[in-house]
Amino acid sequence: MSSRTPLPLWILAAVGLIFVTLPLLALLIRAPWGDLVSSFQGSGAGTALRLSVVVSLASTVLSLVLGVPLAWILARSSIPGRSVLRAVVVLPVVLPPVVGGIGLLAALGRGGVAGRWLYDTLGIQLTFTTLGAIIATTFVSMPLVVLATESGLRSIDRRYESAASTLGANPRYAIRRIVVPMLAPQLAAGAVLAWARALGEFGATITFAGNLAGRTQTLPLAVYEERITDPGAAIFLSLILVALSVVVLVAMRDRVTQAR
Amino acid sequence: MRRSIITLTALTLVLGACSSAESGGGGTTEPAEATELIVFAAASLAAAFGEGIGPGFEEASEGITVVFNFAASDSLAGQIQSEGSADVFASASDTWMDAVQDDPGVADRADFVRNRLVIITPTDNPAGVASIGDLANEGVQLVLASEGVPVGDYAREALGNAGIAEEAESNVVSNEEDNAAVVAKIVAGEGDAAIVYESDISAAAENDVAAVGIPDDVNVIATYPIAAVTGPPNADLAAEFVAYVLGTDGQAALEEYGFSPIGQT
Repeated sequence: MSSRTPLPLWILAAVGLIFVTLPLLALLIRAPWGDLVSSFQGSGAGTALRLSVVVSLASTVLSLVLGVPLAWILARSSIPGRSVLRAVVVLPVVLPPVVGGIGLLAALGRGGVAGRWLYDTLGIQLTFTTLGAIIATTFVSMPLVVLATESGLRSIDRRYESAASTLGANPRYAIRRIVVPMLAPQLAAGAVLAWARALGEFGATITFAGNLAGRTQTLPLAVYEERITDPGAAIFLSLILVALSVVVLVAMRDRVTQAR
Repeated sequence: MRRSIITLTALTLVLGACSSAESGGGGTTEPAEATELIVFAAASLAAAFGEGIGPGFEEASEGITVVFNFAASDSLAGQIQSEGSADVFASASDTWMDAVQDDPGVADRADFVRNRLVIITPTDNPAGVASIGDLANEGVQLVLASEGVPVGDYAREALGNAGIAEEAESNVVSNEEDNAAVVAKIVAGEGDAAIVYESDISAAAENDVAAVGIPDDVNVIATYPIAAVTGPPNADLAAEFVAYVLGTDGQAALEEYGFSPIGQT
C-alpha cells in the first residue's frame, strides 16, 4: 500500500515531521542536564508549577460549570440568534489572547466597566491576583468546553430520552442516567483540552493579571521572564510544559479509545 | 466524534502557539543595496526614535528606510546575539550594550542620551503617593519592570538608595516585560504606582498618569549607549545613523521627547 504513495508526498511529510519535532528535540539537546538540580532551584520552577496546576485546574472547573450550560442552550434551545451567540462564545478561541487580556482589563480591571463596581462596593480587585489569572485562563479555555460539549449533545439521539420519559423517567432523571453518561467522553475531552489550553495560557494572563512569582506567574510567564536572564532555566521550564502536554495527549487518546 | 476531537486538538495547539508576546525583529529581507537600516532600540525610545529621529534621518538621507524594532534592551540583545539582524543597537543600559559588544561586536559606541526615573500614579492617585518613601507604605500596589530589564534594575537601585528596597519589593504586584507594559498598567488604573523613565510620561501617557518626582540624591540616571553592530553589510549607513543621533538634530528630537541630552544631567 505504501508503495503507491507518491515520493513527493513522502518528502513533504518528512519535512513536516522534522518541522514539528526539531524544536522539541532542540529543547532536549539544549537542556541543562548537567546541573538539573541547580537550575530547578534557580528557576523558581516549583512555585510556578504549583501555581500553574492550581490556576489550570480551577479554570477547567470554572469552564465546565459555565461552559456546559452554555453548550446545552446552544445545542438544545431554540432561542433566536443562536448562531451569532455561538460565534460570540467561541470567539476567544480565535482571538489573540493579549486582546482578551485587554478586554478583561477594560471589563473587570479595578477601573473597568464592571470591575470598578466590584472594587468600589465590594472591595474586590481581580488584577494582580491568582483569581485574576484563573479568570484570564478561563476566558481563553472555556470555549473549548462549549465546543466539545455542544457537538457531543448534538450527536446524542434524543429518542433515548423520549424512550426514557415514556417509561416514566422525569427529565432530570433522564439527563442524569441517559445524557450525562453518553456525553461523558465529550465532556472529558473538552475538559482535558481546556486544561491544556489553560496550562499554556500566556497573553491574557500577563496582560490582565500581571506577572508576580507565586501569585500570577504561571509556567509560561516564568519561561518568558527567565529566557534572557537564565536561558537554561527557561528551557528547563519549557520541558516541564512539554512533558505536561504529552501527558494531556496520552490521556486524550485513552478517552477517545474508551469512547469507541 | 473522533474527528471533532482531533479538530479541536489541532485548534487548541495552533492557537496556543500563537500566544507568545515575542515581537521578533527577524524576517526582514536583505537589501541588494543598503536602502534599509534596521535599528534595534530600547522600548523607552519608541516615541523619540519612531516619530522623531527615524523620519528625520530618512529625510536627511534620501532613499533610506529605517526599520525599528522596539523591545526591552535585554530582549534585543538576545535577538542580536542569536540572529544578528540589527544594523544599529540603542540600549537603555551599558549591561546589554556590553553583552552585544562581546558578541557579535560593535563599532562607534557612544553614550547618546540620559533619562531620569520618575514615579507615576493613576491621575486620581488612589494610594496617595507623594514621595518615593511612600512606596514603602503597606498596601501600595507597585508595578515595576522585571529584574534584568534596565528600567526595572534602575528602579530597584533607586528604591535601594531611598532605603526602602525590601518594603517596596514586597509591595510589587507585577513584574512587567518593559516600561511600556508598566505604563499601560498605571494608565489602566490597576497599579497604585510605578517607577519609569521621565521620557515615558512625555509620550502617549501624558494625560493619563500623574508624576511624582524622585530627588536627585536617590534618583538613578540612565545613560543610553548606541553603536553600530558588527556583521551586517550596512556599516557605513549605521555609522551615519549613530552620527545623526549624536548630532544637533538627533539631540533636539530626543529632548523633545523628554530625554536629557548627553551634555547635561
